[in-house]
Amino acid sequence: MTPILEIKKLFKSFGGLEALKDITFDIKRGEIIGLIGPNGAGKTTLFNCVAGIEKPTGGQIILTNGGRTTSIGGKKPEAVTGLGIARTFQNIRLFDNLTVIDNVKIGRHCRTRSIFFGAVVRNRFQRAEEKGITESAHQFLDFVGLKDRGEEIASSMPYGDQRRLEIARALATEPHLLMLDEPAAGMNPQESRDLMALIRRIRDKDITILLIEHDMKVVMGVCERVVVINHGEWLTEGEPQEVQNNPKVIEAYLGTGAANAA
Amino acid sequence: MGKLRLQDLTRGGKIRIGLLALALILPFLPFVTDYVLHIAILVLLYMILSLGLNIVPGFNGLLDLGYVGFYGIGAYTSGLLTYHFGLSFWVIIPLAFINGAIWGILLGAPTLRLTGDYFAIVTFGFSELVVLLLTNEIWLTRGPLGLPGIDVVSIDLTLFGGPKWEFIGELPYYYLAIVMVLVTVFVMYRIQDSRLGRAWFAIRDDEVAAVSCGINLLAYKVIAFAISAAFGAVGGSFFARWVTFLSPDMFKFWESFLILCMIVLGGMGNIWGVMIGAVVLVSLSEVLREILPVLGLPVQVRFLAFGLIMVLMMRFRPAGIMPIPAVAAKMRAGRVKRKKVKPAVGIKK
Amino acid sequence: MLLQQLVNGLTIGGIYAMIAVGYTMIYGVIQLINFAHGEIYMLGAFFAITFISFLGLPFYVAFLVAMACCAVCGVLLDIVAYRPLRQSPRLAALITAIGMSIFLQNLAMIIWGSRPKPFPHGSLPAYFEKTAVTFGGVNLSWFHVFIFTLTIVMMVGLNLIIKKTRWGKAMRAVAQNQTMAALTGINVNRVISYTFALAGALGGAAGIMVGAFYNSIYPTMGYVAGVKAFAAAVLGGIGSVPGAMLGGVILGVAEALGAGYLSSLYRDGISYAVMIIVIVLIPAGLFGKVLKETKKSM
Repeated sequence: MTPILEIKKLFKSFGGLEALKDITFDIKRGEIIGLIGPNGAGKTTLFNCVAGIEKPTGGQIILTNGGRTTSIGGKKPEAVTGLGIARTFQNIRLFDNLTVIDNVKIGRHCRTRSIFFGAVVRNRFQRAEEKGITESAHQFLDFVGLKDRGEEIASSMPYGDQRRLEIARALATEPHLLMLDEPAAGMNPQESRDLMALIRRIRDKDITILLIEHDMKVVMGVCERVVVINHGEWLTEGEPQEVQNNPKVIEAYLGTGAANAA
Repeated sequence: MGKLRLQDLTRGGKIRIGLLALALILPFLPFVTDYVLHIAILVLLYMILSLGLNIVPGFNGLLDLGYVGFYGIGAYTSGLLTYHFGLSFWVIIPLAFINGAIWGILLGAPTLRLTGDYFAIVTFGFSELVVLLLTNEIWLTRGPLGLPGIDVVSIDLTLFGGPKWEFIGELPYYYLAIVMVLVTVFVMYRIQDSRLGRAWFAIRDDEVAAVSCGINLLAYKVIAFAISAAFGAVGGSFFARWVTFLSPDMFKFWESFLILCMIVLGGMGNIWGVMIGAVVLVSLSEVLREILPVLGLPVQVRFLAFGLIMVLMMRFRPAGIMPIPAVAAKMRAGRVKRKKVKPAVGIKK
Repeated sequence: MLLQQLVNGLTIGGIYAMIAVGYTMIYGVIQLINFAHGEIYMLGAFFAITFISFLGLPFYVAFLVAMACCAVCGVLLDIVAYRPLRQSPRLAALITAIGMSIFLQNLAMIIWGSRPKPFPHGSLPAYFEKTAVTFGGVNLSWFHVFIFTLTIVMMVGLNLIIKKTRWGKAMRAVAQNQTMAALTGINVNRVISYTFALAGALGGAAGIMVGAFYNSIYPTMGYVAGVKAFAAAVLGGIGSVPGAMLGGVILGVAEALGAGYLSSLYRDGISYAVMIIVIVLIPAGLFGKVLKETKKSM
């Protein structure tokens, strides 16, 4: 089976700084894959390249989805979303001042079509579409555990709920690949466990998940495979346990000599 | 469809119906002279204009300083089409809408990818260029002499063997303006509660997040700008046929400023607020127009008050007298720094 | 004819440059298009004739005092109008700037009346009218020479202030990164005040020179000049001081030539057109960096 996403020899430099150097790895359909590495390793840059926010300076990113293969390196972010890749942000980016339900409804944008004429005339197509938007928005809220919270203002919710809402909004775009940037950051152990359960339930809906995470409990608990990058370079990949005990990885996190001590 | 009963209406609904009834009987109230009616039409015209402008700063959070350019284009297009070809008002209105939208797209498409400040200044330059063209292209517009003798609005049924009514005096224009305001408000409400409106609010709130939801920023900003311009042009068409005389002076930056001030005062993004802003500022403007000459000052000085209103509103009530929560929070956002504490990251094994 | 246009263009261009650097410096430190800058320019001219007619000050003294007053006005403008909005979205500050511009313009109309005012008879130095040099059939009056010299002196002075002095360094630091500048112990608000003072003084000087050149001062003079100077700043690349200077000169010359050879009716239109074209095609201008939309903007 072809991987859903292939990253081939990806380079990204900002001026003289090489943030990503020759990164190559695949994401298999239906897996939960973790992307880890010390601070500044280039994880978020890699995310941004896939999401279309940054333009790679070299290499390819290939999405295979529903029998269609698309090269998405350098595509506009809205186009990437349309192709079925959704993301969340490291520092939550909700529509803070809008209601919870509107946040999710906006997520439906790329799967719906009405513009001015439909809005004004409210023809049959638009009414059906709007009904669909409302219904599915409620379903997604329900799915992440925010049922009946639709009328709250997004920024007024507790931190953990904002994370869930952001995931609901990303799911509303009907992704095939969901990229989560440090979803467990700032969560207490109970919230982390709930999050892991949620991630597994998302995968069960046939959505592949790419996860950046610092919280090793979450990585170990939920990821089936882990890719490690360091200083913008691919370091190793494999099952969580084997990666965790890899001396190179320990060295990357704790510095030279630590591997021997451990 | 169920029957509409008065007791089923909410308080807001009752107020709305009350205000509409008041507006409908206004011309027959004892104190209402032709002058008062004239001002009332002016208020209605500015309601259309400020509702149209509101789409850009209110719904999208972008500053548009050149709105009057579209108003002027609409007015002159309508005036010239009437003058030369005797086109009916009812044909001109849809044409004006399309014409305004085309100009909005032409100006918006190359400039809306710029940052907000640059966009603001480009719109300003555009509207000043429009005034210069209207002033100097004498072969077309008669320049500073102005364009007189534009036909009044009429309802012509002679084609079907019916009569022809010409709109004479203020009264028919008053009702025509009410209908146009109602249509505008209707359109605004429908947009507000639609996929299009939500996309705009998303852009207003956070552009990066909007993009990640698949919203094409440029396209949706251009749509906003085009629709806004279209309403400006429609307002201009009405204006041309109502006053039956146009001159380039009527479309200077002051008008854009005044309309922007209505939105700022009433509440950016709030349909009702914007309309109230129009009522307050047109009235204030007319009162000052009477008072200032008595004080020996030029009427232009009334803009002192408008400038002051803008500065004070931004300082003390940036979302206007009738704020909508989303805009109020946005305008406050920087002042009360959002606390999204991110506790130290857990163990890195 | 060509040469005469060129000389006039350079003269006016130099003055645009002096206003343009004000826009650029202020944009540099607080990322705000200070629409009211044109009004400071207008106030400069009015201060000067007021000091001459009511206090009987000689032209040069009035010139300096008016410049000082404009510096103070600039600082007050910032403290009263912009400082409270420092943390607000850009839209709020921009609307305030437009509001202040309109407010000051009409305040001037109330104080000094709306009709154009000349300098009091005989108050301008007599040698201004006399011809200094004649070359290629062009008469260069001493007034031209005065404006040229002053513009150059001020521009060189400004460059020295920005490059060599502590203020100048602090100003550049704030323009780079306000938070970091504050962390290194720079009093950011004071630096912003200095910037407004400097911009105000230069703008005021430009206003007096234009007022004297055409011998006509009126409350709306800042409106058009302000937009043109802003166009010059954009042309040079907003945030870049040398860019603003060059932009001003180019625009002045383009305008004079355009008015002479194309159509004088569209004299003002040339600036607007240049501005729109530059913004659309090369938003970074000649020397500027591409602006990034910040989170602050709304």
